[in-house]
Amino acid sequence: MSNPGPFPFPREYSFPPFFTRQTNLTTHHAQLVKWSTLVLSYCRHHRLFKLSLTPSSTSSSSSPEPGADELFHNRKLDRRLNTADIREVIDFMRKDGRAEYVGGKETGDVAWVYWRTPEEWAGLVEEWVDATGQKGTVLTLYELTEGDATLNAEFHGLDTELLQKALGILVKRGKAQIFGQEDSQGVKFF
Amino acid sequence: MSRKGVGLAAFDRSRITSAQYASHGSSLRSSDAAALETQLAVFRSLLQQFAQTHAKDIRSNPSFRAQFARMCAAIGVDPLAASSTREGGGSIWAQLLGRSVNDFYFELAVKVVEVCSDTREENGGLIEVRKVRESILQSRMEGAPDITEDDILRAVGTLKPLGSSYSVIKVGSKPYIRSVPKELNTDQSAVLEAVQVLGYVSVSMLMVNLKWTRARAQTALEDLISEGMLWVDKQSVEWEYWSPGFMLTAQDPVQLG
Repeated sequence: MSNPGPFPFPREYSFPPFFTRQTNLTTHHAQLVKWSTLVLSYCRHHRLFKLSLTPSSTSSSSSPEPGADELFHNRKLDRRLNTADIREVIDFMRKDGRAEYVGGKETGDVAWVYWRTPEEWAGLVEEWVDATGQKGTVLTLYELTEGDATLNAEFHGLDTELLQKALGILVKRGKAQIFGQEDSQGVKFF
Repeated sequence: MSRKGVGLAAFDRSRITSAQYASHGSSLRSSDAAALETQLAVFRSLLQQFAQTHAKDIRSNPSFRAQFARMCAAIGVDPLAASSTREGGGSIWAQLLGRSVNDFYFELAVKVVEVCSDTREENGGLIEVRKVRESILQSRMEGAPDITEDDILRAVGTLKPLGSSYSVIKVGSKPYIRSVPKELNTDQSAVLEAVQVLGYVSVSMLMVNLKWTRARAQTALEDLISEGMLWVDKQSVEWEYWSPGFMLTAQDPVQLG
């Protein structure tokens, strides 16, 4: 996949208080809304499907990999959002169905970021199957996310676990059936 | 020539003269009124013509618009007087000006209200006019006519008849739009004015520059925080209190250190 280039951070990212939890309730709500929007657009830009919330020990490098380390730590300003506040942002997003802790738990160190929810991914897969006339055929999960046929589909390169969540929704609706073992799963669409 | 009549006929004569004076007076008055009416009609049609021919310029050219507004003010015409209770049929000027001027400001007013309510959560309902202009210009398409701060102030004026809480206040030398009906006390205004310089202040900055006691500075800052008009940054050496307006600035905020 091509490198999307650096993420154009919004203006509030250069605003030092943005990284301190605001004490005024209304202001804090505005802050959460802005962070939530930022997390979603950042992850969409870099096509990140989940974020690891605990700071990694190797954060000394000047140009970090795209991820929570870069996102929540503005090195230019020397300001960072601490872990408790990050969790608050994630919890805020969970209420909107835009985030979830991996494993479906109430808390955790890794969170799904749903710039597309599993339902939305399911819809995209279904549309693609429909548009390419592949109802009734069996496709492997690998083909769906890594195959040449889906190069132009938005779900190309989708996290496998997330794909399974999405397909699970289609299965529940009776629109698909999943076969096979762990690493060689196939799916048939109806 | 005139001589005082004697006898009863004199009474009749004086009655006749006064009647003649009266009728002459009223004919003068009516001809005056007619002349005024013609003048007004001419003026009205000229103004109408002017507004029609230049409607485009009035809408698209901010300096032309400002000139037009100034001209109207000079001849005692308020192009924005929207509702006139006496005419009964809406603003006479709205009819005269083909709605172009009015509509321009009303449309702008809608945008001002949008910006204010979109940002109310982050700034407590107080926003610099310059910021409003910036964000309106930003949200518009390429090549849309320019607008000035003066236009925005006029647009806010059009909201008055709605009994709205929108008003313009001055903090220091800069005009702000206040969309929440709250009064600032002098200490709060002084803090907001100080914030304009660097984008933020701290307790010790207020103590040094305004010769305030710590308690006074602390109180003013906390009041403004609780109004949602300042954001606090606790990751600096001393807590810094920032104006949310600096979030909207096009250029980078003041570099730290």
